[in-house]
Amino acid sequence: MDFSEIFVSAFEAIRINKVRSFLTSLGIIIGVASVILLISLGTGLQKSITSQFERLGTNTLYVMPGNIGEGAGFAGGGGLQTNKLKFSDADLIERNVDNIASVSNGVESITSVEYRGEKRNGVIFLGVDAEFWTTGAYKLDSGRFFSKAEDSSAKRVVVVGKTIVEKLFAGQDPIGKQLTVRGKRYQVIGVLEELGSVVGQDQDNIVIIPAETANLQIGFDRPTWILISAASSDAISQIQDDVGELIGKRLSDDEFSVLTSEESLDIAETILGVVQGVFVGIAAISLLVGGIGISNIMLVSVTERTREIGLRKAIGAKNSDILIQFLIEAVILSLTGGLIGLTLATAASLAVRVFIPATVTVEAIALAIGFSALVGTVFGVFPAYRASKLEPIEALRSE
Amino acid sequence: MNVLISAKNLTKKYGEAPNETVALENISIEIKNGEFTAIVGPSGSGKSTLMHILGCLDKPTEGEYFFRGREVSKLSDNSLAEIRNKQIGFVFQFFNLLPRTSALKNAELPLLYAGVDKEERHSKALKILSSLGLSERVNSTPGQLSGGEQQRVAIARALINNPSVIFADEPTGNVDTKTSREIMKIFQSLNKRGNTIIVITHDPEVATYASRIITVRDGKVESDKKIKRRK
Repeated sequence: MDFSEIFVSAFEAIRINKVRSFLTSLGIIIGVASVILLISLGTGLQKSITSQFERLGTNTLYVMPGNIGEGAGFAGGGGLQTNKLKFSDADLIERNVDNIASVSNGVESITSVEYRGEKRNGVIFLGVDAEFWTTGAYKLDSGRFFSKAEDSSAKRVVVVGKTIVEKLFAGQDPIGKQLTVRGKRYQVIGVLEELGSVVGQDQDNIVIIPAETANLQIGFDRPTWILISAASSDAISQIQDDVGELIGKRLSDDEFSVLTSEESLDIAETILGVVQGVFVGIAAISLLVGGIGISNIMLVSVTERTREIGLRKAIGAKNSDILIQFLIEAVILSLTGGLIGLTLATAASLAVRVFIPATVTVEAIALAIGFSALVGTVFGVFPAYRASKLEPIEALRSE
Repeated sequence: MNVLISAKNLTKKYGEAPNETVALENISIEIKNGEFTAIVGPSGSGKSTLMHILGCLDKPTEGEYFFRGREVSKLSDNSLAEIRNKQIGFVFQFFNLLPRTSALKNAELPLLYAGVDKEERHSKALKILSSLGLSERVNSTPGQLSGGEQQRVAIARALINNPSVIFADEPTGNVDTKTSREIMKIFQSLNKRGNTIIVITHDPEVATYASRIITVRDGKVESDKKIKRRK
């Protein structure tokens, strides 16, 4: 049997019923497009999370409120519990634990800022100790970071991100200007280097003030996290144990966690993996529905073309010839849908790149093609089998 | 002349008792190579059922059927498909051409299932279509052809594998009288060149082109006689 002829007639059959073929493929188009888009979003998010952690360095540990990570999963997530960490814990750790380069408190929130009547909402708000700058997580473009003295005396100074400079200061040098944060005026002393966006969040839309200022001026009386920089990476597990023991004297095990940056990354990736899995699973259901659509339309096609099948059999087509013909038609229908879906997903992931660094991988492309071919085959088998089993005279007799 | 078709006591029943209907009852026929036979009878007489069995499209309920010496009712679906492909050509009342497919491709179709390569399919189909006066129409689709032209394409398709026998089921049932004569003339000339032809018809006029007329009524052979070929 000449396969090129089968392909020609399969394409012909699909072309004749353009609208019907398109509607049938729509399920596959939507299914493949959403599966690929979600996978590429996940891949992109994972990359940006990893790069975020890499920026903070691998020699770091976090002390966070609540029981996060191993065993607890995220069901008992720390955020839901009362924060029992204290600012003084940072000093306690620094004084009692060996091999530490620096310790910094951090408070995190979202705030609105104002400059000359122009207001900006949804700005990342960070309150950190002066030691935080030594981690190298943020670099300066101009100006300076605040000093230890400014921190301990709760001065109203602020370091701002590039987006704040662009949106509120119209790109002008903001150093020395007064920025209003939570109703109070802060002097701008430094501008951060551009960071881009992570997980769809603009990292340059940020204001950083001293932790003590956040405490006294605004009322953040507990640290969101305590960041510890180890003197060397060999010391990380020793520090983790020592800090656990130290804080453990005051707090119970489920009231705080000490996580290495690797563990934090693992947790973030696990959460992302589960979320992605759920969404991809839902999208895969639409592929299944698309497959059923193909099965359905192929059955209609077999019924419509009963006479053609009868004629082909009368002139010598074997059951297997008919089976292959209808199977190839179903696979082409599905595969075409898959390729259109892939194109749409690629276009969409390029479009969202401004917000999320979605990446269409080779694996995702192979998955799209493989999956749609599989769906076409699985859901095409039954109609094709039915076509192949038609009795030639019954088929010829039909109108 | 050797025997091409030998049917003994063919019976075909449909359905289960008590709603059983008997389409053919104890029919025995022998047809030799090179004969031009007309099977005639009113509709419902069983002539189409008989053609389906003789054409290896259907199997009898009882009786034996030998096609070129092979007992057909014992053959597999694939063997039957191969016989239909290589030994038998069919011409139907409604032409049964593939729509939106050129005359050339329609005529080629049996060669496709016989596994013949593209060049050979093309040249054979062109030759046969030309011999039937369709050389100008090879690229036309059935919708662009007249009834007579469509039936000639169907005849080309039936002839392309150089079969042992051509079965024509009411080949003139869907064309006008003039075209009907043309088509029967084609069968007559094919027969003169040695092709075995079996025409199934309800039209006594059409039957006069044959050299033997088998009349079927109520599932039985009513008469079987040689006639003088019409000029």
